[in-house]
Amino acid sequence: MIRKLLVILALCNVAASASRLLADDPPSAPDAVDYNRDIRQILSNNCYACHGPDQAKLQAGLRLDKQETALAALESGGAAIVPGHSAQSKLIARIASHDDDEVMPPKEAGKRLKPEEIEKLRKWIDQGAKWKGHWSYLKVERPPLPAVKNGSWPKAPIDYFVLQRLEQEGLSPSSEADRATLIRRLSFDLTGLPPSIAEVDAFVADSSPGAYEKVVDRLLSSPRYGERMAQKWLDLARYADTNGYHIDNHRDMWRYREWVIDAFNRNLPFDQFTIEQIAGDLLPEASISQKIASGFHRNVMVNFEGGADPAEYLTKYVVDRVTTTATVWLGSTLACTECHDHKYDPFTQREFYQLFAYFNSVPEQGLDGQKENPRPSIRVPSPEQTAQMEGYRKQLAELEASVQVKLATVRVEPPSAPVALLAEPREYVWVDDAIPVGSTASGQEKDKSWHWVNSPQPVLQGQKAAERTATGLGQHIFTDARQPLLIGSGDKLVAHVFLDPANLPEQIMLQFNDGTWEHRAYWGANKIDWGGDNSPSRLAMGPLPEAGRWVRLEVDAAAVGLATGTVVNGWACTQQGGHVFWDKLGIMTRSPQGSSLYENQDTWELAERSSAKSTAPPDVQAAVKLEAAKRNEGQNQAIRDYFARYFYTKTRATFDPLNAEAEKLKKAQADLEAKSPLTMVMEEMSQPRETFVLTRGDFRAKGDKVAPGVPASLPPLPAGAPANRLGLAKWLVDPANPLVSRVTVNRFWQQYFGIGLVKTSEDFGSQGEWPSHPDLLDWLSSQFVDSGWDMKALQKLIVMSATYRQSGHVDAEVLKHDPYNRLLARGPRFRLDAEMIRDNALAVSGLLDGRLGGPSVSPYQPPGLWEEVGFGPTFSAQSYVQSHGIDLYRRGIYTYWKRALPYPPLVTFDAPNREVCTDSRARTNTPLQALVLLNDPSYVEAARVLAQRVLAEGGSTTVERIAFAFKLCTARAPKPEEASVLSQIFDAQLAAFKQNPAAATKLISVGESSRPAGIDPSELAAWTALGNVLLNLDETITKG
Amino acid sequence: MDLEQQLSRDMTRRTLLGQSARGLGAFALASLLNGNLQGETTNAPNLGTHGALPFLHFAPKAKRVIYLFMSGAPSHIDLFDNKPKLKELTGEELPKSVRGDQRITGMTSGQSKLLMVGPAYDFKRYGQCGAEITEMMPHIGSIADDISIVRSMHTDPINHDPAVTYLLTGNQQPGRPTIGAWMAYGLGSVNKNLPEYVVLLSGGGGQPLLARYWGNGFLPSKYQGVQFRSTGDPVLYVSNPEGIDPAMRRQLLDGVQQLNRLQLEAVGDPEISTRIDAYEMAYRMQTSVPELMDISQEPKQVLDMYGAQPGKASFANNCLLARRLAERDVRFVQLYHRDWDHHGNLPNELKRQCGICDQGSAALVKDLKQRGLLDETLVIWGGEFGRTAYSQGAISKNNFGRDHHPRCYSIWMAGGGIKPGFTMGKTDDFGYNLVEDGVHANDFQATILHLMGVDHKKLTYRFQGRDFRLTDVSGNVVQKLLA
Repeated sequence: MIRKLLVILALCNVAASASRLLADDPPSAPDAVDYNRDIRQILSNNCYACHGPDQAKLQAGLRLDKQETALAALESGGAAIVPGHSAQSKLIARIASHDDDEVMPPKEAGKRLKPEEIEKLRKWIDQGAKWKGHWSYLKVERPPLPAVKNGSWPKAPIDYFVLQRLEQEGLSPSSEADRATLIRRLSFDLTGLPPSIAEVDAFVADSSPGAYEKVVDRLLSSPRYGERMAQKWLDLARYADTNGYHIDNHRDMWRYREWVIDAFNRNLPFDQFTIEQIAGDLLPEASISQKIASGFHRNVMVNFEGGADPAEYLTKYVVDRVTTTATVWLGSTLACTECHDHKYDPFTQREFYQLFAYFNSVPEQGLDGQKENPRPSIRVPSPEQTAQMEGYRKQLAELEASVQVKLATVRVEPPSAPVALLAEPREYVWVDDAIPVGSTASGQEKDKSWHWVNSPQPVLQGQKAAERTATGLGQHIFTDARQPLLIGSGDKLVAHVFLDPANLPEQIMLQFNDGTWEHRAYWGANKIDWGGDNSPSRLAMGPLPEAGRWVRLEVDAAAVGLATGTVVNGWACTQQGGHVFWDKLGIMTRSPQGSSLYENQDTWELAERSSAKSTAPPDVQAAVKLEAAKRNEGQNQAIRDYFARYFYTKTRATFDPLNAEAEKLKKAQADLEAKSPLTMVMEEMSQPRETFVLTRGDFRAKGDKVAPGVPASLPPLPAGAPANRLGLAKWLVDPANPLVSRVTVNRFWQQYFGIGLVKTSEDFGSQGEWPSHPDLLDWLSSQFVDSGWDMKALQKLIVMSATYRQSGHVDAEVLKHDPYNRLLARGPRFRLDAEMIRDNALAVSGLLDGRLGGPSVSPYQPPGLWEEVGFGPTFSAQSYVQSHGIDLYRRGIYTYWKRALPYPPLVTFDAPNREVCTDSRARTNTPLQALVLLNDPSYVEAARVLAQRVLAEGGSTTVERIAFAFKLCTARAPKPEEASVLSQIFDAQLAAFKQNPAAATKLISVGESSRPAGIDPSELAAWTALGNVLLNLDETITKG
Repeated sequence: MDLEQQLSRDMTRRTLLGQSARGLGAFALASLLNGNLQGETTNAPNLGTHGALPFLHFAPKAKRVIYLFMSGAPSHIDLFDNKPKLKELTGEELPKSVRGDQRITGMTSGQSKLLMVGPAYDFKRYGQCGAEITEMMPHIGSIADDISIVRSMHTDPINHDPAVTYLLTGNQQPGRPTIGAWMAYGLGSVNKNLPEYVVLLSGGGGQPLLARYWGNGFLPSKYQGVQFRSTGDPVLYVSNPEGIDPAMRRQLLDGVQQLNRLQLEAVGDPEISTRIDAYEMAYRMQTSVPELMDISQEPKQVLDMYGAQPGKASFANNCLLARRLAERDVRFVQLYHRDWDHHGNLPNELKRQCGICDQGSAALVKDLKQRGLLDETLVIWGGEFGRTAYSQGAISKNNFGRDHHPRCYSIWMAGGGIKPGFTMGKTDDFGYNLVEDGVHANDFQATILHLMGVDHKKLTYRFQGRDFRLTDVSGNVVQKLLA
């Protein structure tokens, strides 16, 4: 019992001792306290809330984040800090007090300094209370390589810094990992994929001095490198395929993902990488690619929940851009400054809104994205689509040329040639079962306008009648008929009505539009007060017609003010209450109507002028509006050509087929355009939105107006930087900026070693952690900038080091000393990222689809998951449509990312939902992960295809095949005991499946990929089961 | 508890803590970052394994929570907060003095008039306590003496997504952990075979749900709620592929474990040992989860009490499952039932939802009580906000609607340290403004944590330099509600 207790206590102390080691042993004077390393965080964590940068919350006028204020005389007398004299320093008295009323921090804050923290502060004051600027805001200076004792170990500059620290701690580095481990580690780190057996064998056999570097160079130039690097960046960019809020429907952003992959692959320098993503659209002559890159900040979630306030969401989008920019590039936590000055770091609320101003002028809507991408978006066709588009353009041009030839030859009567009238008036039906071609339905209840019903409801002619029940005023309206009615002398407008005797209207009215609606006739009560009473604009026609049967209504055109030669292009059937049916609307006339309407150009011009919705080109529209005498020859020609091409009765046979062909091509063009993917981009409004400090972050509480600007605690904008996002981007990557290079190299470091040199990779402020190797961080930062922000060179710098190449073997003693491997006495060893686990299974089985880029795909997913939470089929991405064929086997990075319910196998392995910027993923180890790897059809299928591969390529004996399969998954040969475990499993499975071939058939039927003929199902099933074991091994899913 | 017993409990906890520290699990990292989580010693050791809190801050009243979340926002005016005056005033315009300058949604802000409308159905007095509840919920009426109705809940957001997010995470914007995730993180697990945070969904249509409503936010993903489903795999991927039976799975798993142990010996990485444990738990879940989800063995009278039908997905089934989860010591069970968003056709829709939710909710409380579990199980019933006193759209005898209303609304709670047979809080005659005893979303959260033995100010997680907590910067425990 006692023994157990001791062990436990020792274990509990592990972490504490590690952090003590980090803090207590500076190289020169073992006892010296360093403000940045030892003191700042204590003050920040415990005191700054009331004695820090937030002016609004400052207590007793004491500010401890600045030297001059911390040393100043207190209101209550004395000073908080008296350098050299901890006993006289009130700060010490208060934090060490046992009096509940005296002690700091006050009881209600729920915080208490630890004795060792108090001791540290005491020591620091006694040593003179030396202040330093916060380390991460100091300019990056390149430190010299430190001296080390074991001069033969370092292979790269990094190693000097690491070794020096190890030697201080009395530790030695681990030996180099074996070659198989090294190439597997490198392959995962640089490409996210395992090495092939051939690659492993070649490297193991290559004893030339440059062998390792050769592998590094090969991997860095692989297109898979871009996919690997992009994975992490997409977490930062909060890339997803859906809008995120509420209904969470689809958006098209995968062109941005392609851009990121490509940018890494072509090794775009990090400064340019930054500029294009923050402000690619603002670069001179911005290319399509640069515009796509600017989509970085359009990855914000977008809302359109019913009833939400657009102004509120516009604010949220911009806030997200500010905080994301701060996290990604500055390693700074600005979220709190949305509402108040920062509690720990030198950033004010006002400065937050100055940064806000940079991102506040995107021409976007507060609520958007219901139908397709939130605006602004651009279409980015594929090369094939561009070629197809070009084809259509050419065909259209040819067609247009032949139209021109024909126009030059056809004959058109002079404009005012007399209209040939019929001898007797004839009834022309304009509306029956549908409103006229080209017209637009409208009215108060727009969607209900022209509600057509069939019999047994009353129908006079054809199949349908238009029906409406109104409480109060109701109308069916249409306007802009392509073939209007031509009014002649003595013409009568005709309509048929059926009033429901059970629900009579008070009044019915017909209205006609010749450019205005001032032509009305009504029956029944005089309730609707449009126009002038008892005039052509409101003509009384008598009592309501008889109900319960169809009644013909006739209106004398002249009586409602429609003169001979006018054209009527719109009509309204109006009612005051009641239940009314309308059918068969038209005219009794001698004038030509319908297809023979336009024998005369004047008639058409009249119609054209009265139409509110002309389809003519603007120059023709303008010309038609001129009096004939005022038109020039060109205008006459344009009108005549347009008329001949589209309307003139006598040239229809010539032009209609050509027009139809042109329409078809234009439609194909439009369809193709609609099919070419959209991607959201940044744009700048010509008139920037005004930006105000928002009190407590409330979008309604506007305070001072602010202009774009950067925080005063950081270097100023570079000279000549424009006051827009481009200026901000240039400021970020100005070598004077102390944060960006440090934050960036630290993040890459984290990718290789699991933890950054600064553990809090998202926070380089006062609350962040002091770097484990400050000089190494600065050396890497300065090297990165000096290299021209060369990202591939930086990766190479890291992986070429002896530090990186160490064995990951965990020594029990060292583990106790350094559980998190912060001192780097061993190589990195940790579980692969979610996407890599998937990619690995696909790669080792041979299923992996190697296409680079493209839209997102939807692998196997249990049915019903989206539907359970979705909003139904009105919106996109509410039900899951699984992919088929090779789309099932794409790398994890291409998996459809639905924010409301991201692909469960990825999330189970700690992939974020990408609602907001994620700097680093946790790395958990859970039973649900085991269930995914054991039972998800993707992994069961991978095991089966792995089995097929083993049978095809793995030799002929069970022993050979086991070795082959094991090597595929781990890059090494199994040890004898491992091989023996595997062989026992295989034998048992084979026996079991032979006894139960039906079970074998079921197991090997999982997944849509094909099964080669001629394999015994039991044998394939047994190998599948073995594959299932292999894909679940810790080693398989771990970067060793 | 005698000293030895306490010591041994303590030891158990520390042993597990120690294991995790060795395993370098994310939680260990988290608790190291949060020094103040470990600083305090109380008389209430946290019996959960892998919890970040070594000690609870108070002796807990509840061991677990079952939260019946009524998504879409049920109307307080029609269910729990009777307003006779409003009935009289139906059809009249809401006085400007009542509305004040309060925000209303874009769905009714364009209405020329905001006409008041009274409750759709009559209220009845139920139980010894005489609580007023709609006649549409007779079953909940029958447990009136066991529950506390809170008529004075209020919240900040006025739209669904931000309001659900706010109530469950303390922040309107996504990114923070839900209550259940905080519990899983702080308190850990008290059972060996099931996750500590389980989610059950029911109801079709209505407001959409997002997995963030049971998400882990910035906490490690292992703290997110695990969805248990009535169709397909009860937990995703818990079923073996066809062709692999349990015996075979055990054999294969033994192989995995054997090889992992060899690897552990060779490499020494304690993470491998954690993985070995995780695979064992996964295997246990393969039995425990289907067993849990199979309600066909429940006696007929129990099924009838809930209105549950084996093999179907329903709210009633989920209530019964919630009891089964409680029996198995799952720490936090969250049900989401959709379709309470009655902007129109409220009388019919409300009646329909009452029909779906009334019996199962009440049966859960009764069943817990008869099994002696109610005292240690906190049951919560409610939505993300209330609904307006005025109608959205026209009012007719059988048809009107109500828009969103965050200024005041009603929920009920039962068991786990909640005063039984109690109604607290008061709203004005219009059910529009709070009059007395307001319970803000943060107060509600603080109270839940309190009942579980946790001081809401002290359960924190360091993220981006700040010690975050569920209640953000406010919240007071609602003392009046405590038994």
